[in-house]
Amino acid sequence: MSDTVALSLPVRSDLLVLARITAATMAARADFDIEEIEDLRLAVDELCLSVVGGARSGTVRLEFTLDDATIAITCELDRRGEPDDGYVPAEPDDLSIRLIEALVDEHHRDAGTGGGRAWLSKRRSRVEH
Amino acid sequence: MPRERWVEFATSRDERLRDELVTEHIDLARRLAHRFANRGEPYDDLVQVGSIALIKAVDRFDPDRGVEFTTYATGTVIGELKRHFRDKGWAVRAPRRIQELYLELGHTIDALSQELGRPPTVPELADSIGVSQDAILEAIEAGQGYRSSSIDAPGQRDETLADRLGSDDAGVAVVDERSVLAPALAALPERQQEVVRLRFVDGLTQSEIASRVGISQMHVSRLLAQSLARIRQNLAEGH
Repeated sequence: MSDTVALSLPVRSDLLVLARITAATMAARADFDIEEIEDLRLAVDELCLSVVGGARSGTVRLEFTLDDATIAITCELDRRGEPDDGYVPAEPDDLSIRLIEALVDEHHRDAGTGGGRAWLSKRRSRVEH
Repeated sequence: MPRERWVEFATSRDERLRDELVTEHIDLARRLAHRFANRGEPYDDLVQVGSIALIKAVDRFDPDRGVEFTTYATGTVIGELKRHFRDKGWAVRAPRRIQELYLELGHTIDALSQELGRPPTVPELADSIGVSQDAILEAIEAGQGYRSSSIDAPGQRDETLADRLGSDDAGVAVVDERSVLAPALAALPERQQEVVRLRFVDGLTQSEIASRVGISQMHVSRLLAQSLARIRQNLAEGH
């Protein structure tokens, strides 16, 4: 069984809480342990920061997919239709990458629709329910 | 970081090499601590927690496990910082009910981890405490000082996520300080250098340092505070 939840948010730091709550809630329902959930919450912050860190406008699109014992999260900055304010997607700083690397199982990034996109996945360590 | 040095350290446990490895990576601990700053805990405490975790990571790192040291160390440092926030309670404004639940959560996580031999799940925590799973999730979100209300309070309109989360290119002026940290340390009076070294490189507690150096623990605490202030000042001035 696979569940997908999508969020679409304006670029605002105070809305990041919604991304964390969504990730934590889905992971809790899937019986991830509390340490894994805390790691996931931190990783979501870093994932968003690494994609939309320097942006002042645009839409953050988040997709959370839970597939059995794995949660995957995509974060994309959609700037199509935004006035050209000279924004260039920045390279994520290496600390973000290190953090994500340490907190999840897999991750990668690409340009997406031009604003930048990053993806991560984390498996539940426990096999049994 | 050449792997050979880790292999050498794994066999020799040479003190001097250990110091080198710690010193070369202390910047990672500091940057991670910085990521958790402005979340209700003094920055100096976070740097201290992070530095001690880094020392542990250096001591425990197994070069044969196929993981980069920085990845391994990041996990260790983050784990210790999370634990610090959990133990420390918080400085977050939240309804009393949630605050109490959060504190209880900390104890229950420890107790259940012991009992189960692994970290508990949210349903297990909810069962044990006798509240709903949603309440547990609410407490985690509200209570974890490291993502405290100060982070999530509505920001100024033109503030970016990077500004808010204290990423490296925002807030405190951060350059690659690895190269400047050593001279900053060297600029300290000898006694302070020794105390800082015992605290952050050798990982001794303040009381242990006190008995080793032959001064009071209060004095150690003052010296550490002065040293850190001085290092920060030196770094800020670009020395």
